[in-house]
Amino acid sequence: MENKKKHSKIGEYKPMDLLACAAAREVKDGEVVFAGTGLPMLAIMLAQKTQAHTAVCIYESGSIDGRPIDLPTSVADARCSYQAAVADGLMDAFGQLQSGRIDLAYLGGAEVDKYGNVNTTFMGGTNGKRLTGSGGNTDIHSLAKRSVLIMPQINQKRRFVEKVSYITSPGWKFPHGPNREWTHKKEVYGSAFRGGPAAVITDMGVYRFDENGEMYLDTVHPGFTAEECRENCSFDLNISRVKGETPTPTYEELELLHNVIDPEKIIMK
Amino acid sequence: MARPQIVSLKEAIQQIKDGDMLTFGGFTVWRRPMAAIYELIRQKKRNLHLVEVNGGTHDDMLAGAGCVAVWESCWSGHELYGKYGANLARKIENKEILYEDWAHIHALYRLAAGAKGVPFLPTYSAMGCDMLNPANDNLGKAGLRDGSNRHIGKYKYITYKEPFTNSDILLIPAANPDWCITHVQMVGEEGTVRVDGLRFSDEEAIKASKHNIIIAEQIVPEEYLRREPTRNMLPGYFVDYIVELPWGAHPTGLYGAYEPDGPFINNFFNSTRTQEGFDQWAEEWIFGVEDFEEYLSKLGITRLEKLRANPALGYSSTLKRG
Repeated sequence: MENKKKHSKIGEYKPMDLLACAAAREVKDGEVVFAGTGLPMLAIMLAQKTQAHTAVCIYESGSIDGRPIDLPTSVADARCSYQAAVADGLMDAFGQLQSGRIDLAYLGGAEVDKYGNVNTTFMGGTNGKRLTGSGGNTDIHSLAKRSVLIMPQINQKRRFVEKVSYITSPGWKFPHGPNREWTHKKEVYGSAFRGGPAAVITDMGVYRFDENGEMYLDTVHPGFTAEECRENCSFDLNISRVKGETPTPTYEELELLHNVIDPEKIIMK
Repeated sequence: MARPQIVSLKEAIQQIKDGDMLTFGGFTVWRRPMAAIYELIRQKKRNLHLVEVNGGTHDDMLAGAGCVAVWESCWSGHELYGKYGANLARKIENKEILYEDWAHIHALYRLAAGAKGVPFLPTYSAMGCDMLNPANDNLGKAGLRDGSNRHIGKYKYITYKEPFTNSDILLIPAANPDWCITHVQMVGEEGTVRVDGLRFSDEEAIKASKHNIIIAEQIVPEEYLRREPTRNMLPGYFVDYIVELPWGAHPTGLYGAYEPDGPFINNFFNSTRTQEGFDQWAEEWIFGVEDFEEYLSKLGITRLEKLRANPALGYSSTLKRG
């Protein structure tokens, strides 16, 4: 079945398919992954069925290394604990996170800025529109070795901003100390520094962070240009380092996503 | 220590006073004591102070019904069944509720510290977040950190230069709610509690609280649970009141028993976009029925049976989800 490893062409996949595949490819074999509700669950399940067979997934509700056969719809879903190694609780899951055992975490957000600060609390600051609040977003973003943000970008320019209007989850640089000076995370976290935002994956491209903690465009999805990615950001995005196009989903990845992982079309509508 | 009393839901909820601090077992839309939420609303409790590890459909409902004066937690929403807690959001935006936002670990450690009998627990999470920004210490800004309110401490948190590694670390203060209400699968006649599936932060929430109400799908002979003590979560002396109430977590889910009722929660969420919408919803599903039994009759056995879990999987393999 060599054909299955071939990459699909534009028109043969939806923007959501590429988003899920690009996210899944961030996982390395053997890693411990912390995932949230929604697309992150698809991404880790896809990674486990492709390049990262021995990667394990833990959920903040306390489900450790589950082997779900049906897609969960929340991190506390009974499906998460199917064939799990351990089903305990939050003290265990967050303890593992805080002690530096999490290699990679998937998160979402309503707003992200160029330093990878994330907002899920208020759009437009504390007098603005109230959202869900942090949940585990801030804990996971601040304590995982690498976090990967999954966000829609097409026609969502307002979500990619110079400065988020509320820092729910701190990225590479954020205001700190009595004078609230912008400080690098390493300086603030000291011996507790574990890492930080590694990538932002959208329906237009894959973004990473440079030595200075600033976001740049790494690969652009087929059908879009680097310029269009920049135009869909409210800040002056660095596109000088773009190294080419994001590989499209393989036929195998599409088959897994639609027929094995989410045949009920819960996320992949 | 007195044995817990087996009472009706109405009697148990009558023990809770206006102004009490409450927390709940469960996680987002799983294993929430929903029957108790309906009864708290029916009994028109006021000025409640919620301190929760995370919120969900249940605390948004209490907010909508005007029961809540102070909300302290890290999240409220309905998972995939509704984008956010619209009642709570509206009350926050209109400044009708005092709120204090925390990281998930903070909210957890507040109750864990309360359960362990220490004044705080330390954490690195999540230095640099705006929940720690002094400008967002809402209870402090409201002048409530002056000792006048027994539920509100002097400091939201303390940044401490700990001497072992010379790192900054945050000290998160303990919370000791007056009540925790928890829904479980099984409780013994003497109060031993068994939870199947994830325990979330129930143990911390229950042990931090001064009084506990356990609502169970079934009350079983104590001897049955004591045959396998490793499967049990809690001894009976933590429990004040026991209520037996099958389906008592509906519309949230219960591992091994029933799924969340997604369409029910989604319909609730859609109605909560306005206060009038919520009021109408509450009129139909809370005030319009005498008690939880009548609520279940209104839902009907056909609807409930579709949610029933397959015991081999812990969830339903036939429920239409997509």
